[in-house]
Amino acid sequence: MDFDVHVLQQHAGALLGGFLTTLGVVAASLLLATVLGLLGCLGSLTPHPAIVRVSRWYVDFFRVVPDVVLIFWVYFCFPPLFGLRLSATMSGILALALGTGAFLAEVFRAGVLSVPRGQLDAAFALGIPSFHRWYQVILPQAVRRMMPAFVNTVTDLLKHSSLLAGITAGEMTYVAYTIGAQTFRYVETLSAVAVAYFVVIFPLSLYVRRAESHAVRRMGQ
Amino acid sequence: MIGAGGLAGIPPMRRGTLAFFAGSLLLVTGVLWAVDWEYVRALDFGVVWTFRGTLLRGYGVTLLFAGAGAGCGMLLGTVLAVASQSPLRPLRWLVTGYVEFWRNTPLLVQLIWIHFALPVFTGVNLSVNQSGFLGLTLNAAAYHTEIVRAGIEAVPRGQWDAAYALGLPARHRWRAVILPQALRMIVPPAAGLVIGVFKATAILTILGIGELMRETVRVSEFTYKPVEVYTATAAIYVVSGILLSHASVRLERWLRRSEP
Repeated sequence: MDFDVHVLQQHAGALLGGFLTTLGVVAASLLLATVLGLLGCLGSLTPHPAIVRVSRWYVDFFRVVPDVVLIFWVYFCFPPLFGLRLSATMSGILALALGTGAFLAEVFRAGVLSVPRGQLDAAFALGIPSFHRWYQVILPQAVRRMMPAFVNTVTDLLKHSSLLAGITAGEMTYVAYTIGAQTFRYVETLSAVAVAYFVVIFPLSLYVRRAESHAVRRMGQ
Repeated sequence: MIGAGGLAGIPPMRRGTLAFFAGSLLLVTGVLWAVDWEYVRALDFGVVWTFRGTLLRGYGVTLLFAGAGAGCGMLLGTVLAVASQSPLRPLRWLVTGYVEFWRNTPLLVQLIWIHFALPVFTGVNLSVNQSGFLGLTLNAAAYHTEIVRAGIEAVPRGQWDAAYALGLPARHRWRAVILPQALRMIVPPAAGLVIGVFKATAILTILGIGELMRETVRVSEFTYKPVEVYTATAAIYVVSGILLSHASVRLERWLRRSEP
């Protein structure tokens, strides 16, 4: 079995384009998902039972739906439902954002709730106004605690972005598969893509593991 | 009150809530306004009932793959986790490499690699079903290895010492002392893994395996009623997922009650 690097050199431009598309898709859907996640988090932390219920519905529904189903659903159902034209990439971004937003809502909520109650009481006792209570007491601690879970969600998003190949969005996996189908050089293209994913995702999961074991040790003390 | 500048009469704490409420209301109204209600009124979910046989068969295949993938993956994962505790350093490295590779690349890439690239090395052409089952199993095994490893490492040191002091051979040490305690601890994450595998089976559709999602695409293309068919399938996945997570909660509760 010979590993033909020539195939990769020949299609380097297309593969790089696919890689950049993957990163772009992830960045765009992460941005949208963060907004959705903040809404979902705030919604489930408000004292209004109706808003809490709606936020929980959103979170529970989109956390259970498989990503492929969501991607196909948005791609095939949004155009007729909303009477608009959506490119495969756009609907993919939308679908990934909806799903990731639900996970991020839970990440954010857990982060805020993990700040010890005493911190909030102390801020109240000191008469710190609500804006500063949030921005200088709660959020700095919450963000630090939620960072590992947030990065973990990003690695999931990176992996799930490959599923856009199912609706022929031109991201990395789709590009590699297409080149493989044209040249019958699946080993080279698919291995290159697997390595590319690994190179991006592995440092992130290393960080998650470090941060988590660090947090466990801190709690143990 | 400090900070009660702009909006007179509304305490500052309420202002954020109000802004959030108004923003969300605007978002929901915008989405509802954008929906083509004529189209929604014309939806005909009868088509789902007409093709119930096809969809049910697909659902059966989905459950089969989920069960087989999760079951075999957990078996393999447990074996790998035990191997990860071996005194042989190369063996430990091998397990770590396996786990990191499978956990840090997308399942879809793994599946098409197994189906299209692996035969070049092995010379054995796999059917899509075999490739799908193999990919799901190997992927689930990597995740389960980490879960079991955490469980093993959470077994108190004294249990190991006691097993050594009693002179138990390795086989009994694992099967009678360590694994029963470790496996009991990992029920919640393992249940999460089962739900994850169930969700992941939808990816098999891209290989062309006739599970629920594949049948949905076929029915949708045949009837040209995507919204009805895809929505029904999404509902099937959601209801199954919710049932599975309820079942896992009950299992945990039952295990906690039956603890010695």
